Order: sequence, then C-alpha cells, then structure tokens
Amino acid sequence: MAAPASVASPLDHLVWRGDQLATPVLPGRPTGHAALDAALPGGGWPPAALTELLLPRNGVGELGLLLPQLAAVPSGRWAACIAPPGLPYAPALAAAGVPLDRLLIVQAESSAHARWAARQALDSRSCEVVLLWLAEADMGALRRLQLAAEESGTPLILLRPESAAHQPSPAVLRLALTPCRGGVGIRILKRRGPQLAAALALQLPWPGEGSRPDGDTAPSPATAALQPPSSPGKHALVRPLPARSTPSGLHTRAQ
Amino acid sequence: MACGVEPGLGRASALAIAPELCLVDRAPSLEHAALIDIASWAGRFTPAVSLDPPNTVLLEVEACLRLFGGLAPLGRQITRQIEELGFHARLAFAQTALAARWLARFGTGDDVGKPLAERLDRLPLRALAEGTPVGSDNLDLLTGTGHATLGEVRRLPRHGLARRHAQAVTDAIDRAYGHVPDPRSWFSPPERYLSRLPLPTPSGQADTLLFATRRLLAGLAGWLDARQAGVERFTLVLEFERNSQVPETSVEIVLGVLSRDMVRCQLLAREHLNRLPLPAAVDALRLAADLPCPLAPSAGELFEGDDEHRGDAGLLVATLRARLGDQAVRCLTPHPDHRPEKAWRWIEPPVPGPVHTRSTPIPLPPSPRPLWLLPEPRAIPAPQPWSLLAGPERIESGWWDGPEATVGRDYFVARTQDGCLAWVFRERGAPHGWYLHGYFA
Repeated sequence: MAAPASVASPLDHLVWRGDQLATPVLPGRPTGHAALDAALPGGGWPPAALTELLLPRNGVGELGLLLPQLAAVPSGRWAACIAPPGLPYAPALAAAGVPLDRLLIVQAESSAHARWAARQALDSRSCEVVLLWLAEADMGALRRLQLAAEESGTPLILLRPESAAHQPSPAVLRLALTPCRGGVGIRILKRRGPQLAAALALQLPWPGEGSRPDGDTAPSPATAALQPPSSPGKHALVRPLPARSTPSGLHTRAQ
Repeated sequence: MACGVEPGLGRASALAIAPELCLVDRAPSLEHAALIDIASWAGRFTPAVSLDPPNTVLLEVEACLRLFGGLAPLGRQITRQIEELGFHARLAFAQTALAARWLARFGTGDDVGKPLAERLDRLPLRALAEGTPVGSDNLDLLTGTGHATLGEVRRLPRHGLARRHAQAVTDAIDRAYGHVPDPRSWFSPPERYLSRLPLPTPSGQADTLLFATRRLLAGLAGWLDARQAGVERFTLVLEFERNSQVPETSVEIVLGVLSRDMVRCQLLAREHLNRLPLPAAVDALRLAADLPCPLAPSAGELFEGDDEHRGDAGLLVATLRARLGDQAVRCLTPHPDHRPEKAWRWIEPPVPGPVHTRSTPIPLPPSPRPLWLLPEPRAIPAPQPWSLLAGPERIESGWWDGPEATVGRDYFVARTQDGCLAWVFRERGAPHGWYLHGYFA
C-alpha cells in the first residue's frame, strides 16, 4: 500500500532516512569550506548542538578549520575559547581577521572548571560559538553539555584527543582531524547521514602571500641552505650601534 | 510569653519566672541604623520619605498611588518587600502623618475606607503620647477625668484643656485630624550605601551567608532604585567572630556593567562566597557601595523579542571571573614587537558599550605567523633541508631588554614528520640550535 503523498510530503523533514543526509530544522552555520559544508547535514556546523573534533595532537589544523567561525563574531558577542592547550597567537589571529576583542580566552585549572565555564558560556547566550578543549569527559558530562548547547542555541565545539574516538558520545557530529598536505584531513565519524567512506582533504588558506608552501601548487621546498643565507629576504633587524668613544645619541648630528 | 513573661515586667521578676531567659540590651543606635536602612530602601516607592524616630518611617504616597495600582496593591508590595529586607512592618494609610503613625501603632487596619475622624476617634488615649510632646501628666489628667478614647478627648472644650496645661493635647489632635499643617523634613538617602547585618548565630556556611547577603542586597536595590542609579561594583565585608582573632575579609564584587539588577548581584555574590575560604565563623556582614551612576531603566520590549536570545556579554565575564579569578578570563591583543614571544599581550575583556576603535591599528608582521605559539621554544634535532618549506626570516631584536631577552634567529616554515606545518628557528648564536616555536594550524 503506497503511503498517501499528501501526508508524507509535509512530514518529510521530520523523517530521516538512513541513506540520505538529514535535513535539520535549523540550517547549519557555513564552515567556510565548501567541501566540508557539502558533507554535513544542514550544510554547516550544527547551530545548536555539540560537535566533536578529535585531534591526534594539538596544531593539526583545528584552529585553521575554525577560523571562519572565530572571524564572524559580531560586536557585543563572544567567541569563547575554554581551556586551550596552548597559546592562540594574537598576531596570526588578527592577520586572519579574527576580532580579538571578541575572543574570550578562559584558562581553567581542571576539567571540571572547564566544563563549568562552558556551561556558563552556553547559558549566558552571549556567545556566538564556544570552543572547549577537554581531555577527559564521561558520557554524563558530555550529555549535559549537549543539552546545554541545545537549550541555548549555541554551537559548542569540543576538541578532544583522538583516543576518545572509541568512546560513545552524544555529539551530533564527530570529525577526526588528521594532518594533511596543504591543509587538514577530515574523517567524518558520525553524522546524521550515511557513512562517508573517504576522508575529506580541505585546503586551508595560507596567511602569507602566495600559495601555501606545502600545497599542491607550491614551489619546490626552499633549498635555503642550513647555513645562514648571505642576503635574507625579509627580516627585522634592530641592533645597537657599535660602541663609540664619543657620546652618541640624539645629538650626534648636532655636534 | 509562654512562661508568663510579659512586657513591663522587671528584670529580676522576669528571670525569676524564666531563668533560661536570654536578655538583650536595647541598642538605640542599631535601631536608628535600621530605620535609615528602611528609609533608603523606601525610596523605591516614593521620593518623599521622612524619618519619624524612634520606630516610624513615613511615606508620602499620594502621588504614586496610580503607579502602584492603588492603596491595597501598594500595601501588599511594601509588606512583601520589607520582609525580604528582614523586617516586619505594621502599615497604616491616613491623610495626615501623625494619624498614620497612630493608626499603625494602635489601629486595627480594617477601616481604610472610612473618614479619618471616625478612624481616629476609636483609638485609645495612650496613642496621644506617640510621637508628640504630650506627657504622662497630661494622660493622667485625661484618664482621671474618665476619658478612654481620642473621640472623647476631641470633644472636650479646648479652653479648659489649655487652662489645665494640656495645650500639647489639643495641638497633637489638631495635627492628627488635619486642622493644622504638620510639615516634615524629607529624608535624603546617604551618598554611600553602607549596611551591616549581624547574623543570628555565627556561621561558616556559605548558604547562610548568601541568605544574609540577599537581605543586604534588597536594601541596596531600594537605595539604587530611589536614586535611579546603578553601581559597577560593591564590597562585601565579612566580620568574623570576635574571639577568633581573624581580621575581617573584604570581597569586591565586580558586576561587569553598570547595573542595579539584584539577580546578577546575587549570582556573582554566590560565586565569590563559594570560592572564599572561611577561616572562622562569620559574625556579621557589611555591604558597602558608592559611586552610583545614573542608570535609566531599560526600556522593555513591546513584544518579547530578540532580548532573550541575545545574552549579556558582561555578565558572562563577571561570572567566570568570580569563580576562576581575574587572571583566567582575558582577551589577547597583538603588540608591536619583532620578537614573536613578546608580540602579544593579555588585555582585560572590553566592557560592552560604545565601541572605541583604536586610533592607530597595531602593525602586524608582514610574514605569516603560526596560529599556535609554544610558550617556550622547544629544542628539536636539526631538520632535513627538504623539510624547510619557506624562509628564512631573520628576527634580531631586543638588545635593550638585556642579553636573556635578546633574540637572533632565522625562522623557517617546516613540515613535520606527520605533515603539519611548523614554525622553527635556528639560533644565530654559537650553538646554532634548532627550536620549534609554533604550529600553523
């Protein structure tokens, strides 16, 4: 018996069939990377949910992946970085267009403090996005964070070590990041949709002039010798004047 | 009372009836302080408040009845809110100040709608001495002539009373019944809010302290309402038990923005109190606030709209700082210095408000910089030449800060073994060591 079309069609968005991407009620937030958007249900980061990024170590490209989110914070709102494992480097962030006065860095002594800070950041509803670095978390804690993110309508992006990939998680989206030539490799571990067999390789923008030095179109590796080159291209050089017998300073010319 | 102790009983007789009785001396100065607390708080209902010591605060509410929806709703609001402040009040409404005082003290409270003269006539004779110069000799005289209520006294011939040195009686009755004006001096709330709340028993429990703080904050709210002002911070002082020899502790609670929202104050006070180590039981709490700044009440949305979804950015910072400390919640800014480790600074999170743009933007380094910087460069073995992708960039600077802070380095972009881009440098100095300094990630 065929299902009546008139009933099925309005309910289509409520039913997620396993062989297609779910169409969530709220469209996703564009990630800034078209290839990733295409692979995510809703076309971007889930706007009111917990997303997990699993990292083999820090610095594989997670900040580069999230830069478009950090750069899109309007004034009067925060992007909260809770318990970052290192120092996000201000000049690089500023050069990438991140409004640094909207980037709130929260350092936490323990993971309990970090989780509490994340709850506060979500509950306050004053954050555009919350990034939380968490080494250890049990299912209950993650579930509470997921509920808080849902209630507050704020995306919570949880960055955890790769070893957590085998643990169950209430996150609606789980991505495993790997270092990759020219950017970052992404394996989608969990999404509301069919399994994606192949890993995505995202090209991340290079902050300097020209193309990324390790990209496909990059020139061959700089063959700069290990010896200090005779004429360095760019450099900042501030040196004291050689010692003189006469007093030197502002008035040398006048003498 | 259950043992038979009654008002008017002597100290010795009271102790004889109930030996376990705990006698407390009256402290007129505390009573007066409480009266001032109430008067400052009452400014939220009407600007015309007057103190009538020792136990009365007069509120001129004629002008604001409409705002509060009439006498009965206003009375309910005052009774409810004064209980939050920790006091019990007897309220009476009347057309004259003295009549209101008498009715509050001796009235039954069920005759608000009736004419003033009728309500006053039923009051007992001893009401006359309440808040007036009428002495006990006058009362004795009137009792001796067989009068028991004000109504009877009012009908006595005035000349006769005056001749019998009872002029004060007729004056008081004239003022109460509204025959002569009864001007009062208005109370002006103090410039600096200061309130002290002794705890019933010394306590080391954060919950008890929080409860007491809530009472103090209710007073602060009234004071701020009366001034149409808000504060940015207030100070909570914890006085410990006298015999514990612990000096009092002062906690400054920063609200993040100008506010008179007591929910926010309570929230932050709770964070601070929970974090505070208590070396001894707390005996009393003091709340001090000054520098109130004018703060217009926020215009409510006609339709409940965006407001709920846009949170309070200042409150988040204040809450996080209350528990994690000021040093844990900060923002970053670049700093004009060539040395990578000194090219950034911590700054205070900017307070919400008019956006002030920096007049001259800080020049950024022209070459790419890593998104993660290691706190300390990490020594690495010399990389293979083919793994160096870009560079060198020579940074040689900092001699003015002494030899330790001087850097002389050649920076390269290198690919690590697992394929990430790293920022490495080679010392220009003697050992020519290689170091890892950051990740482009």
